[in-house]
Amino acid sequence: MNAVIASITLRQLLSRRRTLLLLLLGGVMVLVAVIFRLAGEQARAIHFTAGLLSNLGIGTLMPLVALLFGTGAIGAEIEDGTAVFLLAKPISRRTIVLTKLAVAAGCSAALTCGPMLLAGLIAAGGLGDGLVIALVGAAVIGSVLYCAVFVALSLITGRALIFGLAYVLIWEGLLAGLFAGTRTFSIRQVTLAFAHAMGNIPKETVDVPVDLTTALVVGAVVLVGATLLAIRRLGAFEISGETA
Amino acid sequence: MTARAPAAAEAVAVELANASRWYGNVVAVNDISFRLSGGVTGLLGPNGAGKSTILHMVAGFLAPSSGNVTVGGSPSWRQPEMYRRIGLVPEREAVYPFLTGREFAAANARLQGMAPSAAAEAAARAIGLVELEDAADRPIGTYSKGMRQRAKVAAALVHDPPILLLDEPFNGMDPRQRLHMMDLLRGMAAQGRTILFSSHILEEVERLAERVLVIVAGRLAASGDFREIRRLMTDRPHTFTLRSSDDRALASALMAVPTIAGAALDGGLLTVRSTDFGAFSRAVSGIARRHAISLHELLPTDESLESVFSYLVRR
Repeated sequence: MNAVIASITLRQLLSRRRTLLLLLLGGVMVLVAVIFRLAGEQARAIHFTAGLLSNLGIGTLMPLVALLFGTGAIGAEIEDGTAVFLLAKPISRRTIVLTKLAVAAGCSAALTCGPMLLAGLIAAGGLGDGLVIALVGAAVIGSVLYCAVFVALSLITGRALIFGLAYVLIWEGLLAGLFAGTRTFSIRQVTLAFAHAMGNIPKETVDVPVDLTTALVVGAVVLVGATLLAIRRLGAFEISGETA
Repeated sequence: MTARAPAAAEAVAVELANASRWYGNVVAVNDISFRLSGGVTGLLGPNGAGKSTILHMVAGFLAPSSGNVTVGGSPSWRQPEMYRRIGLVPEREAVYPFLTGREFAAANARLQGMAPSAAAEAAARAIGLVELEDAADRPIGTYSKGMRQRAKVAAALVHDPPILLLDEPFNGMDPRQRLHMMDLLRGMAAQGRTILFSSHILEEVERLAERVLVIVAGRLAASGDFREIRRLMTDRPHTFTLRSSDDRALASALMAVPTIAGAALDGGLLTVRSTDFGAFSRAVSGIARRHAISLHELLPTDESLESVFSYLVRR
């Protein structure tokens, strides 16, 4: 970790407009929880909270927040040319990637898990027998995994945002619902497997498509593979010059 | 900035040995060799000639497709430690808009491994060198183009590097800032630093560089002392177009002048080639007057930098 790179990345990622937009997204989930609470349907609280946090939190908010932070951590600097100021320094590419990844994952986890925790506490009227902590804890892991993938993606292509969105919407949103085999390679499903392992989540509300061992293996492979790929890509990073 | 030992000036700081760089089938830099030690060297050439590609190869941001690029005797590609010896001013304008000029310079010093207090001192010194004190505590997002350029130069100077690479460093600077920056770079070169800067503006290179590398279409068209290259540029054949009351009579009168290499009448336009720009310019009006010909128009047709460079390539 490099404190200067971390500080610059943090200020870059937490721009006023981006933070406000993401807080608004999180705010929607909290608002839904408040409306449910005001409706006074206490008997369904656990099921509703599980559905809210898994679908709106882990299914929607987590990938979108991670997509913006993950692709913005290095990709934005490469695009606007400011990356040169970091890369022309006696600092290993590994340190740069790990620092950027840590900051992006930290920001993603904070802006995903904060609203999820608040919404969960409101909807369940407490910790919901460990359900809220399990889903929020799993979202921390999911945010890290997503960010690792999106940081690597931003070093592979200049259209990381589009490809990332396509992965979230098409692969995870559409194909994972149609073909069971594709769920193994879905970070969302891996995250839900972790949530089930961490706490008592009603299986009839939140499906368990991947067992814990598979989730651990896939999670480790995704995290290590994507990080190594990002370090390798940044190590070979070239600034294209003009052609004669 | 501390004065450097004269010995530092004699060592080869930057070397390109038969370096080429291509992108697919497009050749950006073609078999270029040169060695640089202390002093200011100007990389001169039209836009798209390959200057930035050369600078990026020296700065370790592009691998040569063939040949070698070394800085301080070691290959520049994939050598992060090399950046302790290099200060780089990239051409692209973007600088972190949320940082102040002072924060930006200090962050660069910290990234060079300096402790916070030493980084703050180095940043203050560098900000002073580029005369940015008044705006140092304002966010860079509020800076003019010239101020951003100076902030980038300050960031490149914070660690007092022996080698400075600057890509079009005078872009956006007003004439006073330009002169100040030239004085600063000249002074640093006098202390033994190796400075390589690119420009497509002849006058900038003329005023600052002791040595010139002229790059045209990815090739090294000329290199060496600037005055020698300037003479080649000035003494090349020049082409003029003329309109007069009697183009045919003017053409035959001009052919008697020894420095006229040729004249042609084409589509009502007289085109004349002269081997001496100054002599022709001085003589033409007298010749026209002696033959009672009214001169309506006289235009040099090949004064663009590109045509000058093309001439150097053909030689």
